[in-house]
Amino acid sequence: MSNLIKRDLLLSFYSSANFFFTVSFFILILMLIPFAFGTQTEQLKVLFRGVVWIALALSIIITVDRIYNADYEDGNLDIIMQKNKTIEYLIISKYITHWFIYCLPLLVILPVLSFLFYLDYLETVQIFINLFIGSFGMVFIANFVSALTLGARRTIFLKAIIMIPLFVPFIIFGSDAGSWPILLALSMLSFVISIYVTAYGLRLYGE
Amino acid sequence: MNELKTENLSCKRGENIVLNNINFSIKSGETLVVKGRNGSGKTTLLRILSNFITSYEGKVLFNDVGISDDNLYNSKFNLIGQKNSLKENLSIKKNLELWDILFNEALNHAKLLEHNNLYHLINKDVSSLSDGQKKCISLHRLNYNKCDMWFLDEPFVFLDEVNTNLLIEKINQFNENMGTVILTSNINLPKKFHKEINI
Amino acid sequence: MYIKIKNNHIEFIKSANPYLIFATIFAFVIGLYYSLFQSPPDYIQGDSMRIMYIHVPSAWFALMTYSILAGSCVLWFITRNPLFNVVARSIAQVGMVFTLMSLITGSIWGKPTWGVWWVWDARLTSMLILFFLYIAYIFLWQAISNKELASKISAALAIIGFINIPIIKFSVDWWNTLHQPASISKLSTPSIDTSMLIPLFIMTIACFLFLVTVSLIRFRLVLIENKMLRTSN
Repeated sequence: MSNLIKRDLLLSFYSSANFFFTVSFFILILMLIPFAFGTQTEQLKVLFRGVVWIALALSIIITVDRIYNADYEDGNLDIIMQKNKTIEYLIISKYITHWFIYCLPLLVILPVLSFLFYLDYLETVQIFINLFIGSFGMVFIANFVSALTLGARRTIFLKAIIMIPLFVPFIIFGSDAGSWPILLALSMLSFVISIYVTAYGLRLYGE
Repeated sequence: MNELKTENLSCKRGENIVLNNINFSIKSGETLVVKGRNGSGKTTLLRILSNFITSYEGKVLFNDVGISDDNLYNSKFNLIGQKNSLKENLSIKKNLELWDILFNEALNHAKLLEHNNLYHLINKDVSSLSDGQKKCISLHRLNYNKCDMWFLDEPFVFLDEVNTNLLIEKINQFNENMGTVILTSNINLPKKFHKEINI
Repeated sequence: MYIKIKNNHIEFIKSANPYLIFATIFAFVIGLYYSLFQSPPDYIQGDSMRIMYIHVPSAWFALMTYSILAGSCVLWFITRNPLFNVVARSIAQVGMVFTLMSLITGSIWGKPTWGVWWVWDARLTSMLILFFLYIAYIFLWQAISNKELASKISAALAIIGFINIPIIKFSVDWWNTLHQPASISKLSTPSIDTSMLIPLFIMTIACFLFLVTVSLIRFRLVLIENKMLRTSN
């Protein structure tokens, strides 16, 4: 499994998906808040909590086409599936790399941004914990939607229509400070469903 | 001495019958050429033999064990499909690096690419190569992971005369080392191999 | 090809079609007559309450159709009988129309009754999500070119969507108890009087006949489409 993780990280590094792009996208979406809503402090504090989840959801939706599609289309997925008889190793390695490349930078930059939006230390920690737990669940969901729709090319809006209702419970509980146990339950549920459905989708497209 | 054989192999894709009662048997050191018209199921046959398609009727036996039951079967063959498995936006060198990680084996690429006269292009992007050159790089995967069988899907497409002869030589060498090759082709090949079936 | 529909079944459906259309129109006419003229106006809401007679059956059938769709997909996965796939595809569009009708009529009912076009409570939000689930199912079929694969993928997503609906309902309910405790009592439906029950019942029958008629038309269309796909391969 470690060679799969290494390969994915190297591949994304070569394909210029990097820390600066993901972080810039995140910052720019959050930057739209004061432009759209005004700069009153109290309002910014309330809005930041929610829009940070919307920004995370958007970041994940944009990258859903990069998970399995490239390898499927050029034939590398065949090699990978043949080399790894237990397909679960491939799936878990994809979870790890996808989260690492597209969610971890956002979590790293979050404390800086929350200070820009006048949140204090305790609130930042709460938001961080919620985002940390919820981001895993959203990554699991994005992975299985990607694996199921490998054959549907250039349908990013359709995939967004499928994924956003699935993200709704995460966003509802995520923007509320004390609900990290429910978020953890949701993430674990989506992990179980996602492993099964992703394996099903990959085998289906292997035929 | 390994033997791969099929018994009354039939496969349906959706409503179409793609393969109908295919029977063949091939032993170590032999090469089987699968010929047929476009769309006659040659690729489907190779994908069944590679354990990708699991819903078929009939049996595929490797040393008298069904291939879906054999846990070690997946490590015994090397499938080179029609897609090149190359990242178009990267250079050959980076593609080979990625394959090294994937196959867990670092090859001496210089020596092997010299054969096909491609080593001097190693830093060029794959998208700037010709189709024949891409096919040569794709076939370069055969050097990884020594195994008993090669499944090649239309390997001679796009290759020029020199590279075709190099590939035939390579297949002969593999046969002499008791390897088995099954390849598909829809054109007449310059050399007669051991066995041939038409589907 | 082990679909259990014989040609004489299709002929029967075809010949029943005019009767069904007539019955649907008849039921709607009677239902509308009862709703508009024979039932009393509500004490508080007045005549605007009458839109409930379309809204409530639409909402019921929107949810029921999706349950049938998801159940059909589950049965398809278990038995692999193509009939269930065809049934699911036939009712998807009708279900979407019912959902849209219930959202629009609900809005129109809401404005004079409670003063708002929309409120973000569990039921309405779930209905909105249900609309998008239908959209996803219908458009996924068109997006994937390999139709056998398309049926498997859309069935899988229909089932996942079906599991998602109670989760969303629970989440929004929970969120609402935290943030807007007052609005829940606003949307409780009043108890129903017998004189209002009759038009409701007739309109429900009418909507059911509409569902059956349009689904059967779609059913034949889907079978023809499948046949064309098979013969063109």
